Amino acid sequence: MITRWLSGRLARSLDDRLRVAPVLRRALAKVFPDHWSFMFGEIALYSFVVLVLTGVFLTLFFEPSTADTVYSGAYAPLDGSRTSAAYASTVRLSFDVRAGLLMRQTHHWSALLFVGAIVLHLLRVFFTGAYRRPREINWLIGVTMLALALFNGFTGYSIPDDLLSGTGLRILYSVTQSIPLVGEWLVFLAAGGEFPTAELVPRMFVSHVLLVPAVLAALIAAHLGILLRQKHSQFPGPGRTENNVVGSRFWPSYTVRTLALFAWVLAVAFALGGLAQINPVWIYGPFDPAQAISPAQPDWYVAWGDGALRLFPAVEFRVFGRLVPSPFLPGVVFGGLTFAGLYLWPFLERRRRRRRDRLAHQLLDPPRAHPARIGFGVGVLALFAVLLAAAADDILARILRLPVLHVLSILRVLALALPVSAGVVAYLVARALRAGGGRGIGELTRSDVRSAMRFGSRAGGVSTGVGDPSPVATAEPAAGSHDAARIELWRDPDGLWRWRYRDAVVVLAASQAYRSRPEAERAAATAYGDLPAREVAPSGGRTGEPAAMRERAGRIAGRAGGYLALAAVALWRGRRARRRPPP
Amino acid sequence: MVTATRADSARRLAVFLAVLGLAAGPVPRPGYAAPVPDPGDAAPAPSSASQPSPAGPPSPTAPGDGPGPPAAPAPDPVASRGADLYLRTCASCHGPAGEGSQRGPSLVGVGPASVDFQLSTGRMPVDQETRQPPHRRPAFSAADIRALVAYVDSLGGGGPQIPTVGPGDLREGRELFLANCAACHSATGGGATLTNGLVAPSLDRSTPVQVAEAIRVGPGLMPAFPENVLGPEQVDAVAGYVQHLRGGRLDRGGASLGRLGPITEGLVAWGIGLALLVGVVRWLGGRAGR
Ligand code: HEC
Ligand code: HEC
Ligand code: HEM
Repeated sequence: MITRWLSGRLARSLDDRLRVAPVLRRALAKVFPDHWSFMFGEIALYSFVVLVLTGVFLTLFFEPSTADTVYSGAYAPLDGSRTSAAYASTVRLSFDVRAGLLMRQTHHWSALLFVGAIVLHLLRVFFTGAYRRPREINWLIGVTMLALALFNGFTGYSIPDDLLSGTGLRILYSVTQSIPLVGEWLVFLAAGGEFPTAELVPRMFVSHVLLVPAVLAALIAAHLGILLRQKHSQFPGPGRTENNVVGSRFWPSYTVRTLALFAWVLAVAFALGGLAQINPVWIYGPFDPAQAISPAQPDWYVAWGDGALRLFPAVEFRVFGRLVPSPFLPGVVFGGLTFAGLYLWPFLERRRRRRRDRLAHQLLDPPRAHPARIGFGVGVLALFAVLLAAAADDILARILRLPVLHVLSILRVLALALPVSAGVVAYLVARALRAGGGRGIGELTRSDVRSAMRFGSRAGGVSTGVGDPSPVATAEPAAGSHDAARIELWRDPDGLWRWRYRDAVVVLAASQAYRSRPEAERAAATAYGDLPAREVAPSGGRTGEPAAMRERAGRIAGRAGGYLALAAVALWRGRRARRRPPP
Repeated sequence: MVTATRADSARRLAVFLAVLGLAAGPVPRPGYAAPVPDPGDAAPAPSSASQPSPAGPPSPTAPGDGPGPPAAPAPDPVASRGADLYLRTCASCHGPAGEGSQRGPSLVGVGPASVDFQLSTGRMPVDQETRQPPHRRPAFSAADIRALVAYVDSLGGGGPQIPTVGPGDLREGRELFLANCAACHSATGGGATLTNGLVAPSLDRSTPVQVAEAIRVGPGLMPAFPENVLGPEQVDAVAGYVQHLRGGRLDRGGASLGRLGPITEGLVAWGIGLALLVGVVRWLGGRAGR
């Protein structure tokens, strides 16, 4: 009672001064689409939160310096060894700091999850055409965040100054060095001298814990701000048009859903961190320029670059009499092309269209609607899969009992053949699906595929209206149910007007309330055009089913909390068991 | 201490698999989870039964009990046992007098360490010609191995003796291992591929004596490290550290994922972590649609 009164007063006094209530009300009524693929970005967001939380913990104990120190602590094989302060403090984090290893491992696992979620999110955006006007800015921001995430992952991986990451750092150094004209200057600027330098670890540290995370946080804010302003795009479906968003409201149902996801990300990251070993630097040993380690791979999100370096034939050439070393093409040019392609894609695709597509799109393409886009995307994915495999060429060679050179030759052939064939297959499947309408891959018949391969007759190109660039073409339900579509308006006990869309299939309640009936009608007309509107009696409770939603949301939260608690108990018991004195 | 940690890590592994499912499991290293008790370190192996022993009249069961070196006078049962085994199982490839043949190199002067290494790691006798005989269960009992070692030594002396391994300094062992061995055998001791399809094998089953023998002998593609490169205490240290690497003792962070590094870690991140989270969002999204 008292808390309620207090919070009410607090809210009112805040509102008197800041006038936040209207803003807040609008924000809380924001509608988010329900489709599950819209939540990949949130996985990335929450992984970032886990990274910051665990990263702050690590920063308390990590010493970003290559100064000579003597490790003394619980890890016997290193006890008394001289190593760099960075390496010694990482081993100390792993063996001597309470919960240090859990935090280190969780930090690293969530880095892998973070970039993975970004990639999934990017694929969803790509294959549904969500980057089209007006959302190109957010696409650009997203690609920038991906690049920063890769970079930050690399610097984080390198600062412990262990032998494995040092090997990778040396490779990046020589790749940068290979850039004609500016390469030498760039590495000198970054490292302050010939590799390895004492400046490298402290500089990477500042970039890793401060600069890049700060830029990332700002970009995340901009990304979400633009999202709120532009509203979500959505898949076409009954009742969904270019002018509305169909889904759950921010409060309460969406809030609880997203908090449940946060709990899950925390649970998965900490479960991995507690149960699966990652980057055991104490086994790898400190970096020593005279030593090598094998097999050596970087983390998966940069491994494609490493794979390209291994796969590409060693080609050196001269430009204006200067020798350009072999890492230049696979390292700098390929990486540059990858990101240039990502940045430019929305604009390239727009130009490619016969009818230049300047229209704004709020409805997504079902992936099959653009066979060429699918074919291209799948082909590129296949190429990157081969590159990832190439980064593990030594491990593959060992498993297959083949010489590494044979494995590389096989992978070279695959790198050329697989993207093309996978792309063509994806293209044909998409065409067949598009021609056949709403069925899944499993239901395609041979005749569907055959007709998809007949190009002259445009058999595969029959438009079903899906993904047509015109703003009015939405996938309307079949004609019969279309007749039933209407707008219903009613007045709630609180005196506000609300409306909903109803057809034979769905009922979609608008999330906002209006002071008068004309206002509500106008809003409905903006969303659905000239559908017949009629007034109905208020249905039971208020508008949607907030009570039911709240109940359901509560159940979800409860269950997620339960799993989290379970994981916590398991972790805690594991730790305790490990600390038990030896019998 | 040792057993506690190992049991602990086994339990953690079990929990890990139970909780997260077993998608994208690590590449199993042979015998990784449960190191096979290796008869190499003096425990007489039961596997000698597999050897067809009754072939000659000389008293078959008189193993040279005790550690005394079998200095070979003529009627010594150990020596005749060694000769007998050699002629039956080795001579076809290495020649009746160890002079070598088309199918195998000369054994004259290779030294007891080499013979003991080849036999106790089960590399010899090879059944069919492979490029690189793998580490297997030894074909002979410890006593028979001693007899064979003595017999091959009698074909022509010289070569490194079987080293005796004492306790070594762990820290020095780690440093020496990383400096001399990790480039081929990987810092984790998990092994790695070399050129032309040959591998430096995992050291997960190597006993201290075998490690010391390998250092002195340099089997196959591995270089030999003579006394002036690695002294006896240094060999002890390396052998001790290799024992420390074996099993799950150093996998303090949980399931080792084969200690294969970022590749398996990436597979687990995608196959378990992200797969789980995608399942979660599908579930959350599916509920919201209703
Ligand atoms: C099928 C043929 C074959 C048989 C049988 C065989 N070996 Fe070998 N052995 C080889 C080959 C081939 C090599 C060379 C292996 C290599 O290069 O790694 C070898 C290598 C060796 C070496 C190492 C030589 C060196 O230079 O260090 C020793 C010791 C040895 N064998 C002992 C034996 C003994 C003892 C037996 C009997 C129990 C035996 N071998 C049976 C083929 C054979
Ligand atoms: C040039 C690479 C190389 C280096 C360096 C090297 N090894 Fe080896 N090692 C090998 C190869 C190859 C084999 C397998 C030999 C065979 O085919 O029989 C081997 C085998 C072994 C074995 C036998 C494993 C088994 O299967 O039982 C041991 C033990 C061993 N090495 C220990 C060491 C130690 C200790 C060092 C460091 C002092 C070291 N090696 C350095 C390449 C290397
Ligand atoms: C984009 C976000 C981030 C990514 C992708 C990332 C990734 C990584 C990775 C892969 C490591 C290596 C861990 C290991 O040793 O196994 C690392 C280490 C580290 N990170 Fe981050 N990190 C991020 C953000 C942060 C933030 C925000 C902080 C601090 C506020 C931080 C602090 C640290 C520290 C101190 C280390 C070194 C300690 C150690 O290696 O154990 N990180 N990071």
